[in-house]
Amino acid sequence: MDLSGRFGARSGNGVPFREVTGLESLHLGGGDEFRQMVLPENGGGFTALLELPPTRAVELLHSSSSSSSQATLHSVGTLTFPSNPILMERAARFSVIATEQNPNGNISGETTTSSVPSNEHIKTEPAETETSDQAAVEKQNNRCGKRKDFDKKVKSSTKKKSKSSEENEKLPYVHVRARRGQATDSHSLAERARREKINARMKLLQELVPGCDKIHPKRDRFWWKDEDQSVLWGPSNCKLSLEESFDLQIQGTALVLDEIINHVQSLQRQVEMLSMRLASVNPRIDFNLDTILASENGSLMDGSFNGTTMQLAWPHQVMETEQSYHHRQLQQPPPQQWPFDGLNQPVWGREENQDHGNDHNSLMVGSASLHPNQVKMEL
Amino acid sequence: MQPTSSMNEQFLKKWQMGLQIFRPSIDNTSVSERKRAIKLSADVAMASLRKGTTCWSRALIQKAATEDSFLVRQMLAGIKEETLINRKLPKIVCHRKIVRRSKKILMRRKSRSAMEEVTAKAKKLVKRKTKGLRNVVPGGEFMSNNVLLIQETLDYIVSLQTQVNVMRSIVDAAEAGVER
Repeated sequence: MDLSGRFGARSGNGVPFREVTGLESLHLGGGDEFRQMVLPENGGGFTALLELPPTRAVELLHSSSSSSSQATLHSVGTLTFPSNPILMERAARFSVIATEQNPNGNISGETTTSSVPSNEHIKTEPAETETSDQAAVEKQNNRCGKRKDFDKKVKSSTKKKSKSSEENEKLPYVHVRARRGQATDSHSLAERARREKINARMKLLQELVPGCDKIHPKRDRFWWKDEDQSVLWGPSNCKLSLEESFDLQIQGTALVLDEIINHVQSLQRQVEMLSMRLASVNPRIDFNLDTILASENGSLMDGSFNGTTMQLAWPHQVMETEQSYHHRQLQQPPPQQWPFDGLNQPVWGREENQDHGNDHNSLMVGSASLHPNQVKMEL
Repeated sequence: MQPTSSMNEQFLKKWQMGLQIFRPSIDNTSVSERKRAIKLSADVAMASLRKGTTCWSRALIQKAATEDSFLVRQMLAGIKEETLINRKLPKIVCHRKIVRRSKKILMRRKSRSAMEEVTAKAKKLVKRKTKGLRNVVPGGEFMSNNVLLIQETLDYIVSLQTQVNVMRSIVDAAEAGVER
């Protein structure tokens, strides 16, 4: 059958997994992409929510232990970590019956190994759910989330598990049957999705804030307060006792948050100090300097000096500071320097400083003068 | 993500535009006044880079508007400044005593297990930290969920970094000039 053939081939599962990671890397690529991600996510929350979890869900399921599962379905009130994948197994077994109900609807989303249709399918499901009422929403989420979890679980668990995984392999998705026991689970699915979002962003923040990387080598999860249930995430590969993992994660999250707070506060304090320093400098310099630099920057960014000479009476010292700043600005975008090579006319045309200006321009090419010393000091 | 040079330049432009507004009155002001003017214009410049898309930028602009609305209006000319300035900040009123009392009652009813206690402590710790973060980030109190908070923090840190870089370079240049 299509199903077994599809799931039997590893590549079929590898593709959706890779797409999702591709998407994830796209989303988490940088500030601009980040901002772009912000806006659509606010609009269509679940689409992005459900895009992120699968990769984490792999690791989650990877470390699940096979414990007795019968009770967990009903012990919804105290959901702990191993129960969720077990629940999914149960749901899988239950859903064998339900597979016949709608074989075509979801399979069509799964059959294609190409990236776009399956993602679209995944996206359209949550998109539809947003308009429907709450119960339907949770069901859909269940289905989407569980189906994705299953995909990933299939790939990851083939090494470990034998029978149960094969049963799961034949099933593309979880069904209505198991939903009663998962009433809270759908909730925690959404919670988990949210938490994954948070964790992804925290990782970004970690890269941004210096000193966060060395906080904890083992910790690769963050721990956040949940509205109802707290599902504990385990680190991907190492088996830790529950208390240990708690401790690690608490430490991880709290420490990283601490670092972030400290970083923000230090940046704010730096701004205060700098503005104080600037204010205590000769006021004529700080305000007028900026106007000069504004016009200078305007011409810099155009990449061309317009021949306008500004006839201003400037003290000698201001001239040099501008030149050093000019250097610094130029050093930031090196390719822009080359158009300035042949231009001898400086932006600020002051008679006394013409030579300096020429020196300055030629400095871009790289000749030495007293200015580079100043620049190096400031850089 | 690190601040890019284009961000630096944009910030510089806006900041200078703001500083020019203060230019007529620089001679008869004290250091603290100048510092306030510099900082205010720098903050508004930083926030205006985002053009009202992020929560922290809006909150920052509104805070600046309470201090000097004329400056804000001039600097944000053309970027829906009226809506940004006049919009009232959403107030989240929380009667702490009531909340604390209800929490105590809930805690009493719950059964205690070792695991739950650890969970509870962890929750408290993380909650305290997030509250601290909310206090630091402008507009943090009005961000409804943690996801938004972290997103905003990320953006805010990047913007702060550009602000610091540009200001530091200007200050260094100015001070070096004065020394000579």
